[in-house]
Parts: sequence; structure tokens; C-alpha cells
Amino acid sequence: MSVLSRNNVQISGAGDQPMMFAHGFGCDQNMWRFVAPAFEADYKVVLFDHVGAGRSDLSAYKADKYASLQGYADDVVEICRELGLSRVIFVGHSVSAMIGALASVKAPELFESLVMVGPSPRYIDDAGYNGGFSAAQIDELLHSLADNHMGWSASMAPAIMGNPDRPELAEELTDSFCRTDPDIAREFARVTFTSDNRADLPRIRARTLVLQCANDIIAAEQVGEYVHAQVPDSKLVYLEASGHCPNLSAPDEVIAAIRDFA
Amino acid sequence: MIHPGEGKAEQVEDLNDLYENAPCGYLSLNPRGLIVKSNATLSSWLGVPAEQLVGKRLRDLLNVAGSIFYETHFAPLLRMQGFFNEVALDLVTADGSVLPVLANAVEKRDADGALLFTRVTLFQATKRRRYERELVDAQAAERKLGKLRDQFIAVLGHDLRNPVAALNAGVQMLLKQPQSDRSLHVIGLMQGSLSRVAELIDNVMDLARSQSGGGIRLARDAKEPLAPVLRQVIEELEAAHPRCAIEAEIALGEPVDCDRRRIAQLVSNLLSNAITHGASGQPVRLHAGTTGGELQIWVANRGEPIPEEVMAHLFQPFFRGSTRSDQQGLGLGLHIASEIARAHGGSLDVQSVNEEVRFTFRMPLAAEAS
Repeated sequence: MSVLSRNNVQISGAGDQPMMFAHGFGCDQNMWRFVAPAFEADYKVVLFDHVGAGRSDLSAYKADKYASLQGYADDVVEICRELGLSRVIFVGHSVSAMIGALASVKAPELFESLVMVGPSPRYIDDAGYNGGFSAAQIDELLHSLADNHMGWSASMAPAIMGNPDRPELAEELTDSFCRTDPDIAREFARVTFTSDNRADLPRIRARTLVLQCANDIIAAEQVGEYVHAQVPDSKLVYLEASGHCPNLSAPDEVIAAIRDFA
Repeated sequence: MIHPGEGKAEQVEDLNDLYENAPCGYLSLNPRGLIVKSNATLSSWLGVPAEQLVGKRLRDLLNVAGSIFYETHFAPLLRMQGFFNEVALDLVTADGSVLPVLANAVEKRDADGALLFTRVTLFQATKRRRYERELVDAQAAERKLGKLRDQFIAVLGHDLRNPVAALNAGVQMLLKQPQSDRSLHVIGLMQGSLSRVAELIDNVMDLARSQSGGGIRLARDAKEPLAPVLRQVIEELEAAHPRCAIEAEIALGEPVDCDRRRIAQLVSNLLSNAITHGASGQPVRLHAGTTGGELQIWVANRGEPIPEEVMAHLFQPFFRGSTRSDQQGLGLGLHIASEIARAHGGSLDVQSVNEEVRFTFRMPLAAEAS
């Protein structure tokens, strides 16, 4: 199994400098479909699915490897090396912002810049740190996933259907978007929401852009500000977009912010 | 003709009342995701007046776990495809209790594609959720039990083989020493019983394997002849049942691509079955031949016809017809035989005509290229 098919790597664009987009917990590389095309004229656009998501190779999922975010970061480094990339601009949404941070710490020679969309180095509150969630709340989330309380593992797959009003949604999208193996998704949730990467932030050498949304319950403003304060060469931009997925709800604003920075 | 109600000023549906008191909850969100309107039904479910819902977000009505899940899964889904259907959410009511609902949502866009509203309908799903929960629990329990059962059978089968082998060795040792006629008779019975126990263990092990691992695995070989193996099975059974004659006709003109050990087991199971259920004093007949590109082996015994309702269940595991109580096995022999037939791409059928019961096994001489 090659690295490229393992992570369902898709390459497009006319430029030389690579811009690599990474999706967060929940969905797959289609999260970037309103953003990535805007950079195809000037960059080599690289999209991929984390193992366990989208059209990645589920059989490549190894519980011990992916028991921490480092396993996912190692995949990112492998993809870059396989493609012979350098000067990479890594755009990571949600937990992938930290995955990109870990990848850039492991292989600083590969990455020129990081764009972190809604990053959080730690979701659970700690002494002197406001992550936005109590340990009990994250426990409740993981428990409800483990317990299938939301019935989502059964309901996710058939929930996605074609939409005649939005023909740009290709069939392959409706087939895979948000569809994840329940067991893997549960483990990815545990790894994501119990992660603590605060100590890694000062070690980032790549220039970094933090994009902070309004009303983001998952990565609140004080968390984005914390990331900005800890990453040496970083810039913080507040988006007007609200919620956790500006790449879907306000793609133009995200595109403009990345262009401005890159 | 006059229809009831005609002529009176008919009450046209009160749309405002339909909205407010519909048998489902309504929510409308503005493009920023804030609640701009909701109906009375939802307010009564939540215990929160409509005016207090204005300005909140849908996720504010959910528990923390649900809101994370909403933000990471359903909000993107809604934005991506313009709607979602049958999403399971847990609302938190004013008194802190949880109200499971199913939600549908659709975006309303203007002619230029700009988002105007997101409309959400909510249906109570407490009982449905409980039912789903029970289903999931039952599935998990069944999986656990099934795994335990397979392990149990496999371990049991394995641990039984050793003492049976020891008993066999002991019997062989006794036979090498001078014995009285009476002792020889008893030892003969013991040998028969031991071979039956060994057969039962084999069948149980095969059942465990075929249930847990998707069918019986074969070691096919077309080069070695099948006939000697069949003759050996017949000899063994004749030795174990000296009062029963087996009339065999074996004419295998062509090589058969099969697992000979498994075919021997199949034939042994069929012969045992025929000896057990056949009329006493009547011979059991076996025919094995190759014609028309297939191997055909049938085993027939005289005896009572098998009733229709029994025929339907003959090949199910643990099925036992109305056998004599002293002859009962586990009811696995015919099941395993049919599984062996299936594994070879063949079939095992039974016919009961004119006081003759005949089991016929057919399989293609050459394995289909897969």
C-alpha cells in the first residue's frame, strides 16, 4: 500500500510551491472544496484524507500508531517526502492545525508556513489554561460516542444523498463526506479531545497564521490567542465567520486571509 | 349530490396555528446561525419561551457532547449539501432533562444562491431512541455471546481429543494381551463408542470452524485416487457395525479434484446416518461414480419414509429427528456433510421414496477457476 493511496492524496494546480490542506475530526478532504480551488492557479494543491476518514485505506489503521496525534503527523511528513515537497504551506483545520504543528516540528525543513484554522492545543481546561471544556464534558462526548447514544454510526451513511439544487456536489462526495468508520472515529475523537500539545507550540519554526472564528465552541477566542502567544513567528487574524468550519461557511474570507499571508 | 360540509363556510386551515402548534418543533436560523423564530410546540417541549430562544444557536439547545458532534459533523453536512435528514440530537430542556429528537434541516437560499434561512424541524424520538439503544445493546450482547460460544466449542473440542486418544491407546494395549471372549466383546463395544466420540468431536470442531470462519476449508488434490479412501471408510464402519451389511459399488473413472479426507468424512457421516436410521437386517447401499463432468455419490437405506416437515430441517445443525433414544448424536453429521458438499461447490440432497431414503452428493469433477 503506497503512502499516496493510503491517504487518498489528490494533487492539482499549476504552481510550484505546495499548499497542503488537512481536514479535521468529523469529515474528509471535501471540507476544502470551496477553498482549495482558489489556489490552483498559483500553487501545487495537495489534498488528503487522514487514515480512517473519507476514502483513505481503512486497513492501514493501526490502533497503536494512531493512539496519538504524532501518528497522523508522521503520515503528513511521509506524504511530503513521497511527493518530494519542500517549502510547504500547510493549511490545517481544527485538530489538523496541531497535526501540522507536530509535522513541522518533526521535519522543519519541509514546511515554510502553517495556517491554523480554529486550532486548539488542548481542549480540556487546566490550571491557568481555559481550553473551553471540562474533563467531565469531554468524557461525556467520548462516552456518548462509545455508547452510540446519538445513533450516529447508523444514521451517518444514509444521511448523505444527492442534492439536485447543488449539482456541484459530485457523486463521490455524497458517497464519502463525513462517513467514517465508527470505531476509528471514536478513537480519533479520543485522541483529538484529550490531546495536549501546548509544549509543542514554542518549538514551531515555520511562520504561522492563526485564523480565529467568532463563536467557535470547539476552539474559542482565548484558545486562538493562546496559540498566537506561544508560537514564536505567528500572526492572529479574527474572522467574521462564526462556528467551527469557516472553510465551508465563509470560504471567501478564509481564502483572502490565506492569500494575504502566503 | 350534496357532500357533508358543502354550503357551509368551510374553515380553511389556520396556517399561523399550524406553525405554532404543529405536532413538531420548528426553528428558523438566520445566515449567522442564530435563531430568529421558533414555534410554541418547541417552547413547550423545552420549557423556554420563544422570545428567549431568539438569538441563540441550535447548538445552545444541545448538551456539550451533542454540540461538538453537531459542529464537526452536521453543520458541515448542512452547509455542504444544503440539508440534512433524520439526524439524532439530544435537546436539553429548562429543567436539565434530555429530550431526544430527530431533526431535519434545509437551507433556504435566494435566486443568487445567498443563504436566507436555515429551517429545522424537530420530532420527538424518545421511544425510538430507546428502541435503537436496545437494538445496539442486543447486537453487542449477541456478538459477545457468539464469540464466547465459538471459543467454548473450539476449546471443548480440543480438550476432549486428548483423553479420547489416551483411551484409544489403552484399548489397543488391552487388545495385545490375552483376553477372555467376554472382555474382547466389551473392548469391541468400547472401540465403537470411542470412534463415535471422536466423530462427534470432529463434527463439533467443524461446526465451530464453519460458523466462525466462513465455511469449511479444503485441501483439494485431483491427483490422488478417491476410491481407496471410500473403501477404507466402508471397512471401518463395517467393523464397527458387524451386523449391518454395506453394499458398495464404486466406479470412479475420472480424477476428482476434492479434499479426500473431507469426502471420506462426508461419506462416513452419510453411512453412519443410514446405519443408525435404516431398517435392521437390511443392507445399506452406496454408489460412487463419475458421469457428465460430476462426481455422484449416493447412500441409501431401507426404512420408514422421512416426513415432509422433517426433510426441511435435516441439514440444520443440532437437528435430531425422532431417533431411538439410544442412537442419538448431536445432530451435526448431516449438517457437516452438507457443508462439505457446499465447500466443494456441490450439493447434498435427500429423497424418500417407497421405503427407501437416499442421500445424493454431487460435485463438479474440476474446481471452478476462482
